[in-house]
Amino acid sequence: MIEFKSVSVTYPGAKEPALADVNITFQKGEFVCVLGRSGAGKSTFIRCINGLQPVSEGYVKWEDKTLSEMTHKETLEVRRKTGMIFQHFNLIPRMSVVQNILTGLFGYKKSYENLLGLFKSSDRLQALEAIDQVELTVEPTRRVEKLSGGQKQRVAIARALVQNPKVFLGDEPVASLDPGTADRIFQLLKKTHVKRNLVSIINVHDVILAKKFATRIIALKDGKLVFDGTPEEFDDKVYADIYNHSS
Amino acid sequence: MVWFKRSQFLILLCLTILVIGSMKLTEFDLSKFRDFQNMGDFLSKWFPMNTESLPFLFQESLLTIAIAFLGSLFGLIIALPLSFMAARNTSKNRFVFSVTRFLLSFLRSVPEFVFGLILLTTLGPGPFPAVIAIIFHNIGVLGKLISELIESADKGPMEAMLAVGAKKWIGNLFAVLPQIWPNVLSQFFYRFEVAIRTSLILGLIGGGGIGQQLFIHFKTFQYQLVSVDVLLIMIMVIMVDYIGSKIREKVI
Repeated sequence: MIEFKSVSVTYPGAKEPALADVNITFQKGEFVCVLGRSGAGKSTFIRCINGLQPVSEGYVKWEDKTLSEMTHKETLEVRRKTGMIFQHFNLIPRMSVVQNILTGLFGYKKSYENLLGLFKSSDRLQALEAIDQVELTVEPTRRVEKLSGGQKQRVAIARALVQNPKVFLGDEPVASLDPGTADRIFQLLKKTHVKRNLVSIINVHDVILAKKFATRIIALKDGKLVFDGTPEEFDDKVYADIYNHSS
Repeated sequence: MVWFKRSQFLILLCLTILVIGSMKLTEFDLSKFRDFQNMGDFLSKWFPMNTESLPFLFQESLLTIAIAFLGSLFGLIIALPLSFMAARNTSKNRFVFSVTRFLLSFLRSVPEFVFGLILLTTLGPGPFPAVIAIIFHNIGVLGKLISELIESADKGPMEAMLAVGAKKWIGNLFAVLPQIWPNVLSQFFYRFEVAIRTSLILGLIGGGGIGQQLFIHFKTFQYQLVSVDVLLIMIMVIMVDYIGSKIREKVI
């Protein structure tokens, strides 16, 4: 469904590429955890999938279409089909829970509808259903800055859910949360993943979480793909190879 | 002297030279206050206040508030989209950024008084050219201040809006505006307060309002009316400051 072919990304002014010659394919139903040290290229990798980060060499394909050759409209459609959650939640401050969730529909609406907040009652219902799905027990009208970290991430997941995504991306979504909350968020992600038969690709630092929930683990080191296998294959030797300091 | 570096002494020396030079140019001389008595005599002529013209002066004050309000609000409305074009992180491209920044710098560099003088020749005397003059200057000032707020906004929500497939301008608007809104309001009310003082100056060139009355009363030695004018001006400024802080409190 998603294919990386010889993908490299070099940031302007950088000597070394952030991502170097990555070849990989993802299929529907896979719950993939991406491991690697800080600066290994995990965030760059995730952002290449929905085109937030353009590639310097190679290409990313969605089904049969190359992302870099898509029209602007097609790129927006790819993003619309991709729910993404972030480490710092990236919610819009001073807006309520339900308003934040409704922004997930921005890709489906015309500009004037977004600007004036012209959402149908079915859209609102969809947002309320997403609140139920993520088991959020706060008032939908509550402002998001008043929520805890775990609650904020649930709002972010609900925002991604209303997009009706085919692909779920997570850029270290539990890095700012305590271990208990992190586990519960992963349970929620897995449940949603199974229910909707998605492709989920999630960056994570916690190897235990990755081994517990992933159906496939990949690892990056200095921008290179150094491991691609099942959680069982990810043993201590692989762990040492990925996380031990090379310098 | 562990807190200070040698370069800081150089800065202090430069500052001292600048202060002395400026004092010479401005004939800054505190000994002139020995004739303080004259000021006391002059101010005593301001009282008792002549309240007979209070209804008329109140009406003129409302006109001043209206000039300042329209000048600030329309300035803000026009400055908002321009500030997104003038911010590095939201501008469409380098060309749009540079042109908008130049336009804002130009508008900011021309004082309202000069805009007022130019507009008087085409629009004639009255409050309308004063409103336009304040709008022009406020576009420049608010445009720059808001563009700086935009540049310092958290880019996380912007990225999230791009990720949901929103158009860039819609994403920027929704991700940035809620973040900067309390500061935008602060800037607006500050500019509103400044616009009240500016409209007084514009009154000197026929812009109308309480400023024009102050000028007339001063020129015709009607000091008991001058005191009423000054009191009304003070009330207006304090009122705007108070309302502004209350609204900002509510918004935050």
